[in-house]
Amino acid sequence: MLEKSIIKNVLKEALTTNADFAEVFIEDKFQTDASLLSSKIQGVNNSKEFGIGVRVAKGYNSVYGYTNSPKEEDLLKLANDLAQSFPGEPVGIEFSLEEMKVGDLHKVKILPSEVSLDEKVELLRRADKAARAYSDEITQVSTRYQDYVQKVWIANSEGTYVHDTRVRTRLAIAAIASDAETKQTGFYGPGGHYGFEFYSENLNIEEAAAESARIAVEMLHADECPSGKMPVVIDNEFGGVIFHEACGHSLEATSVAKGASVFSGKKGELIANPLVTAIDDGTIPNAWGSATYDDEGNLQKRRVLIKDGILTSYMIDKLNAIRMDDEPTHSGRRESYRYAPTSRMTNTYIDNGESTFEEIIAATKFGLYAKKMGGGSVNPVTGDFNFAVAEGYIIRDGKIAEAVKGATLVGTGSETLLKVDMVGNNLATAQGMCGSLSGSIPTDVGQPTIRVSEITVGGRGGAI
Amino acid sequence: MNFDKLFELAKSKGIEDIQVYFSDNSEFDITIFKGELDKYTIASTQKLSVKGIYKGKMGTVTTEVLTDEIIEFVVDSIIASAKTIDSEDEVFIYEGDKEYKKVEGLFNASIYDVPAKDKIADVTELEKKIMAKDKRIIMVQAFYGDGSNNVTIRNSKGLKLQKKVNDAMLGAQVIANDGEDQRSAFEYIRSNDYKDFDLDSLADIAAKKAVALLGAKPCESGEYEILLTKEASASLLTPHISMFSAESVQKGISLLKGKVGEAIGSKNITIVDDPFMLKSAKSGAFDDEGVATSYKELVKEGLLTGYLHNLKTAKKDNIKSTGNGFMGRGIAPTNFYIKPGELKYDDAVKSLKKGIIITDLAGTHSGADPISGNFSLQASGFLVENGEIVRPVALITVAGNYLDLLKDVTNVCDDLKFNFGYIGSPSLLVKSLMVSGL
Repeated sequence: MLEKSIIKNVLKEALTTNADFAEVFIEDKFQTDASLLSSKIQGVNNSKEFGIGVRVAKGYNSVYGYTNSPKEEDLLKLANDLAQSFPGEPVGIEFSLEEMKVGDLHKVKILPSEVSLDEKVELLRRADKAARAYSDEITQVSTRYQDYVQKVWIANSEGTYVHDTRVRTRLAIAAIASDAETKQTGFYGPGGHYGFEFYSENLNIEEAAAESARIAVEMLHADECPSGKMPVVIDNEFGGVIFHEACGHSLEATSVAKGASVFSGKKGELIANPLVTAIDDGTIPNAWGSATYDDEGNLQKRRVLIKDGILTSYMIDKLNAIRMDDEPTHSGRRESYRYAPTSRMTNTYIDNGESTFEEIIAATKFGLYAKKMGGGSVNPVTGDFNFAVAEGYIIRDGKIAEAVKGATLVGTGSETLLKVDMVGNNLATAQGMCGSLSGSIPTDVGQPTIRVSEITVGGRGGAI
Repeated sequence: MNFDKLFELAKSKGIEDIQVYFSDNSEFDITIFKGELDKYTIASTQKLSVKGIYKGKMGTVTTEVLTDEIIEFVVDSIIASAKTIDSEDEVFIYEGDKEYKKVEGLFNASIYDVPAKDKIADVTELEKKIMAKDKRIIMVQAFYGDGSNNVTIRNSKGLKLQKKVNDAMLGAQVIANDGEDQRSAFEYIRSNDYKDFDLDSLADIAAKKAVALLGAKPCESGEYEILLTKEASASLLTPHISMFSAESVQKGISLLKGKVGEAIGSKNITIVDDPFMLKSAKSGAFDDEGVATSYKELVKEGLLTGYLHNLKTAKKDNIKSTGNGFMGRGIAPTNFYIKPGELKYDDAVKSLKKGIIITDLAGTHSGADPISGNFSLQASGFLVENGEIVRPVALITVAGNYLDLLKDVTNVCDDLKFNFGYIGSPSLLVKSLMVSGL
């Protein structure tokens, strides 16, 4: 996108003071968003983003600047301004940018540019029709389509010079069921690192829409969830958000490196029940959080974070690796050129265990079956997490009983991980957007059905 | 980009009317960690959002590439986008109002007179001051950021508006650890006048907040009187703002539908949308559609008076737009807050017989559902018995319905504070909420 000679000049300019590392991140992104509400296409927007981020570092300290201008003089000035943060004589770094490596591990079949807007919004109409057909109680459907082609070029003063293209698409469906007293929403938002073939080969839109409607209708007739401490069976797919919030963020060097995570300094220790093995894998073919390269220009990897309950790996970006005196794990990610990269999750999941779903329910005398999870958040400093249960049921005497709504699960990541006492064999993943220091990025969450022996459940249905 | 060229090409291709929203931003952010500069970011960016009416439908496009070469792409995108829309809502490009209020204090140039060196020194000083306040404070991340935004709106009906705003923030995340428990606090000051950054008072409040929560444990489950602190209240108000949007009402996803004139909160509750507040980056004389903004009380002593409108929703209700047409959601408030009352915070605490002061609510982006009004959220704060704070509490959940909560507000304190998004609230006394803990 920028000539190699310009990139090299910018990197050299950044190193004219006492810095020991410089990086250029160029991004060219084309995105299409379409929305439907009240059965009508409400808006369609194309957006073209273009920008360049320059990072200059000395040891683990770095400075960052970004601009939309591709002009050499503007970029040299930016590099020069940033370099002033490291006053002193040049370290004398020599480097060359050889042949640009092009990422190609996640192939797509139909580029978004090959598909007309009409074909794209037709998906929204199909989703709307199918959700409404599920039940008369569905009074409103809101659905959104998104696709983008994000082209990035990453070069640095260690000779890294790569080009990666990320093609992603997602369909988000929210069905709303109403009666005289209240409204309930059911949500389902599948997506992946795919082209338009996703909608004919990997996703059945009518089933996805019916699923979001089913959740809304089920919750419309649900009782308020009781509150108290109880065993919770968390289903697979988006149930994986529990691990993402309860543990994942606290394993990112972003907080670990500064000693601001509950898991800082705990490599080799037992931090979860021995039934738990957890993985962060940025190489899963065409998964929502995958890419050939991370946003620092290194090949994405598979990282075993926890093995049989023992902490085996953090997720570490380049600069935090220096701070932690540890190896980088190629986990540097950023939302766009507007952010410096830091260590982030990709596709993170608890691996399969031995139990079946039926065994887990049958083994529970009384508890909550969290069939679908909503979103949540964590304070990595304390490990306190929370998340909403989008679809829940009481388990009574080993059987799934009445539906309950409005439940929230709260806990401390370290304690909850130790209390996982059954792990299923039905691993499945779901898509989400994860927000942190380097912006909002696509991530997969996942797990088999698991049981946590005790979590605090909040709800308006009175104490158990 | 030459906007006249854009307007000409648009007209020639059949676009009836077209409007550009051009924004030119600059940003400066620093973070200090252990006395060292941990983050330093400078940026200068531009973005163009264009909308155009083609055969009665509104097509839109945004671009960060601003050369004249891109003009054809912009026009073609608008037409392609418009052709795909089948919403029958009437769309508008506005010729402008006769008058726009002169709003003071949106841009304070003096903040750039403070050299970066001094800002770094002040943030370093802030970290030092906080660490020195209490030996249980083990880590501080102090930060400063300022940004400016220069907005130009022009359209084919001759509208020409311009606005320049800037904003700055100084604050810190503080971690306290007493050997058994670890807690964190986050405190900041926001202003576009550097003189408002009082390091001593900020250090004091931040340090106290962090250590106060040490040893926090869940309390017993049950119903408690609640003192919702200003920060927690603003964070709970934020996800429910969409209830006030006329778009939500007209699309059948707001509980406030049909309730104008009714009591939706107690007499203590007055909720304001104020576009003229001083020193706020959200203030301004016009919205993103070019409509003049207005000060309004959406809830006056508990009674709902109306909704936030843009041109489209206003036309449907046969009224004037309230000047709340903003890109992103389509409708948004400017500075949106619950009006402060007269009760002193300390007196509010003393009034609790068996209550909980909620200082923080987590998970508001997922545990609060504005469509049903129901929320179920993780909370932390303090247990109060007979007017005295007994101990800190954490890992509890509070559940309720937001409209019921507003009706159950028994008193309002005088300590109004705004969050990052310029949503504000004073501390509120609430009759009761269901708490789940032990």
